[in-house]
Amino acid sequence: MKAFSKFLCSVFLLLLSVLLLSSFLSGPSSAKRAVSFPYKHGGLNKRQAAAYLLSRFTYGAKPGQVDQVLSMGLENWFNQQLDAGLPDDSLNKRLSSYDALNLSNAEVLSKYPPGFVVVQMALKDSVISKDSVGKAVDKKAYNNQIQAYMVKKGLKSDQELYKQFISQNILRAAYSNNQLQEVLTDFWFNHFNVSFTKGECAQFIPAYERDIIRPNAAGKFDQLLLASAKSPAMLYFLDNFTSQGAPAPPAPAMNMMMATDAQAKNKAQPVPAAKPKNVPGLNENYAREVMELHTLGVDGGYTQADVTQAARVLTGWTIYPISSIGYGSAMKALVTKIGENNLAAKGFVHEGDFLFTPNRHDKGEKTVLGKHFEANGGYEEGVSLLEMLAHHPSTAKFISRKLAVRFVSDNPPASLINKMAKTFTTQDGDIRAVLMTMVSAPEFWDTKALRQKTKSPFELAISSVRALNADIQQPYQLFNWVSRMGQRIYYYQAPTGFPDRGQYWINTGALLNRMNFGLALASGRIPGVLLNLGALNPDKTATNAEAAMMTYSKIMMPERNMDQTYKRLVPLLQIPDVGAKVNGPGTNVPVSSAPLSPVSNKFSGMDAVSGAEEMNEKKKEMAPVLNNNVLAQVVGILIGSPEFQRR
Amino acid sequence: MTSRRGFLKSGGLALLGIGLMGGIPAFIAEAAASEKAKNLYKGKKTLVCIFQRGAMDGLMAVTPFTDSYLQAARPTLFVSAAKGAATKPLIDLDGRFGLHPAMASLEPLFRDKRLAIVHGIGSPNNSRSHFDAQDYMESGTPFRKGTSSGWLNRAVGLLGHDGAGTTPFTAVSITSSLPRSFYGDNQAVAVSNLQDFALQMRGNPKGNTLVSQSFEDLYDQTSSDLLKDTGKESFEAMKMLQKADTKNYKPSGGAVYPNSALGNSLKQVAQLIKMNVGLEVAFTESQGWDTHFNQGADTGIFARNVTDLSDCITAFWTDLGTYQDDVTLMSMTEFGRTVHQNGTGGTDHGRGSCNFILGNDVNGGLVHGKVAELAVENLEDGRDLPVTTDFRAVFSEVADQHLSLNNDKVLFPDWNGTKVGVMRK
Repeated sequence: MKAFSKFLCSVFLLLLSVLLLSSFLSGPSSAKRAVSFPYKHGGLNKRQAAAYLLSRFTYGAKPGQVDQVLSMGLENWFNQQLDAGLPDDSLNKRLSSYDALNLSNAEVLSKYPPGFVVVQMALKDSVISKDSVGKAVDKKAYNNQIQAYMVKKGLKSDQELYKQFISQNILRAAYSNNQLQEVLTDFWFNHFNVSFTKGECAQFIPAYERDIIRPNAAGKFDQLLLASAKSPAMLYFLDNFTSQGAPAPPAPAMNMMMATDAQAKNKAQPVPAAKPKNVPGLNENYAREVMELHTLGVDGGYTQADVTQAARVLTGWTIYPISSIGYGSAMKALVTKIGENNLAAKGFVHEGDFLFTPNRHDKGEKTVLGKHFEANGGYEEGVSLLEMLAHHPSTAKFISRKLAVRFVSDNPPASLINKMAKTFTTQDGDIRAVLMTMVSAPEFWDTKALRQKTKSPFELAISSVRALNADIQQPYQLFNWVSRMGQRIYYYQAPTGFPDRGQYWINTGALLNRMNFGLALASGRIPGVLLNLGALNPDKTATNAEAAMMTYSKIMMPERNMDQTYKRLVPLLQIPDVGAKVNGPGTNVPVSSAPLSPVSNKFSGMDAVSGAEEMNEKKKEMAPVLNNNVLAQVVGILIGSPEFQRR
Repeated sequence: MTSRRGFLKSGGLALLGIGLMGGIPAFIAEAAASEKAKNLYKGKKTLVCIFQRGAMDGLMAVTPFTDSYLQAARPTLFVSAAKGAATKPLIDLDGRFGLHPAMASLEPLFRDKRLAIVHGIGSPNNSRSHFDAQDYMESGTPFRKGTSSGWLNRAVGLLGHDGAGTTPFTAVSITSSLPRSFYGDNQAVAVSNLQDFALQMRGNPKGNTLVSQSFEDLYDQTSSDLLKDTGKESFEAMKMLQKADTKNYKPSGGAVYPNSALGNSLKQVAQLIKMNVGLEVAFTESQGWDTHFNQGADTGIFARNVTDLSDCITAFWTDLGTYQDDVTLMSMTEFGRTVHQNGTGGTDHGRGSCNFILGNDVNGGLVHGKVAELAVENLEDGRDLPVTTDFRAVFSEVADQHLSLNNDKVLFPDWNGTKVGVMRK
């Protein structure tokens, strides 16, 4: 007991020092977070608990990271991750070669216009003629003309922008010291999903993640909701930018809202089927999804009438005319006519790329979920609607459950969700506080939760490169693999985001590709992803395939019980002269010499040896020499193994 | 889950056994294996869908050529049915509609009453955004964005296997990622090339055998049922395809597939059908239909696109040979294009288009649907061919009839319209 309180004391001291080091903004909230995690509840020892934490709140443990977490203390490590204030110099160095990452939306539009805009500009400037567009006969000449025009104008392809953006995401996931921030950014992006598949919103997605999602990922939920509602990416993705007020508030709808939720829901349901025509100008897409997907959840107690009324509340929420080319030119004319300085006086709200325009707003009175909105509420009624949704009890449950599904298991226990929802409500939707409640709950540490999450393809790829300390020179190569394994990140078409459950990810084609990914990565066949497998085992304990399996499985999957894996693999690996077999006459070109894959799978004492003769000498001395191909195969098998598919 | 066992025992394990019996000549082994598999899945009906992304100009593919308004609206795009004109004439289907001359390869199928056309088909939601319209057509809920599943995935659910009888190949999309139509809880995979259904290894065969044996053993022992079952399925599926030698596939009946993305996709669909691996829903895509610029007339961009489409379909049909009775093919596109040509020799986003349905149970040789005279007062918003047939009416009829489904409330939850008669009873 005494030792324990001593431990607590030191935790507290450590925490204090962390506080001093971390930014003063996030400091005060961490002070309230001095707790200890009940990992013993599930029968875990501290080391296992550290490995489990890493499996849940990072993209995978790096070699030696379990020891780091242990020496810091589990609670300190977690607090540090919640604060997301660690310096990221080496990551930033990698990111510095990408020049599009910090551009504003306006800069993106002027530098990386979509293809069709380039064509329009080129037509306008008479660089190409109408007749030449799309004619396959002189396609090459035409493309050259477009290319030359783009160079002259300093324009770049929008595809290049997306490539840079995807690359930075992969680098952040792999190398950021603030791992939880990246995991949460991914979580919230998926929650508020937008997609490159929708051309209108695609260009605004980089800024959306950078300015809306990441900074708010561990903040207050209402801030995140409000910021997403006002972002060009979301306004375009769910069409609210186009939504206009209907002429007069429909009186009969009031009756429906007086009814109880259940009654109203029953009544409301046939509406879309029976009467599919939209009120002119009103677009309900965002209003529906903000309730169904972003806040209340589909069973959160709203009706079709609520959707329509909420859509009316949000009319006039649109995009400030960002650029003279592309979209928004109609609004530009209006804003120019009024004059920037007169906007506020006329009831407009202009914040960054967001514009509230009163002339499109439905000025009538509305009622949503029983809350009455007076006529002429303007921009503010939209804000209070979103605040109401953000703080609704259904939202507290819905968000808590989704977080628990992400961090605990596909079917988290109700008791855990209730605890988290309670914190969500009492702490004003503070996401840090909700996560702290989750990790402090015994349910989180229940052995039933261990290894219950299946890695998404992205998680598999990133955890592999982290486990092997890989040097990613060409991140986009990993994107191609992740896509092939079934997760084309940023291209998920539905506003629901990728389903977060193992069954979605694991199917026959995807599983074979996971194994292929492991083999390709370990043998250096993924261009621009460099490995030094030998360096991971400086003691050079692995002199045969079996030893390599033992050593590398411990490095890659710390604190996992690998008995079954060993039992199955050892007999196979012990087939006499396996090394000779894989190194026999049929062996093809060594992977390290393959073009575009400058991999160096140097292993054992061999890298110190130069010259073939000397090597042969050495081979005779050291009886079982493990060759690089065998090591690569063993590591490839480990990455493709069922155990490594689990978080 | 029982299904998976069924598949493994009857089809897959047979092959595995053969793999271990090295002494048996390969051709006998293959014959035995294919016989076994055939018995298991023989007679499965397959619905093959082609999504024409970008919105096909239905008025150019199947032209109401007697309509003087159309001719006036499209001075350089209109193709006449009159012989001896400057352009190659349309193929007169019924005195009113003409098939684009570049689609000539489809004519025999139409005359043979296996090919039906529905004109004026489209979505009740008047969005002219490619993204939204494709999304709605694929989710099958034209007024709901948040529908998590796609209509073809729900169709798989309605096959009534309840697990029993599904195979890794029940629903296959020959695309690089899962299409919106396939999103959902039921078994569905996307694979851009059947040859990807293999462990990709270099080096000598013995080392490779070691690797694949290792994976099989590891997945066999794992405590996760999901990984264990899927692992088993994966290895069996892989072996099935390996035996079939997908790389050196020779189409039957002298069929020649165009060397195009769609041609390669349909060729692979035909392979799967003929392998009797239980394929019931197949999905492919065709690109390049967004013809804002210079779409051409009897020749040009549009003509090349429809040549590819028609030749791919006819090659596929020929290749199927005796399997034709089991297959229905249906094309779809998100919307049509403006009646008037625009200032750049193309057409802009419109509303109604047309689609093609091919099969031996199809009420073929007819242009179904309603297309009124294209006077401005008959146009939607004064500019577009109006949607007179809800796509769900056609999709549900084809899927229900061909795959013996019977729950339109699940297939298209918000729809309760009537069917068109594109299938023979």
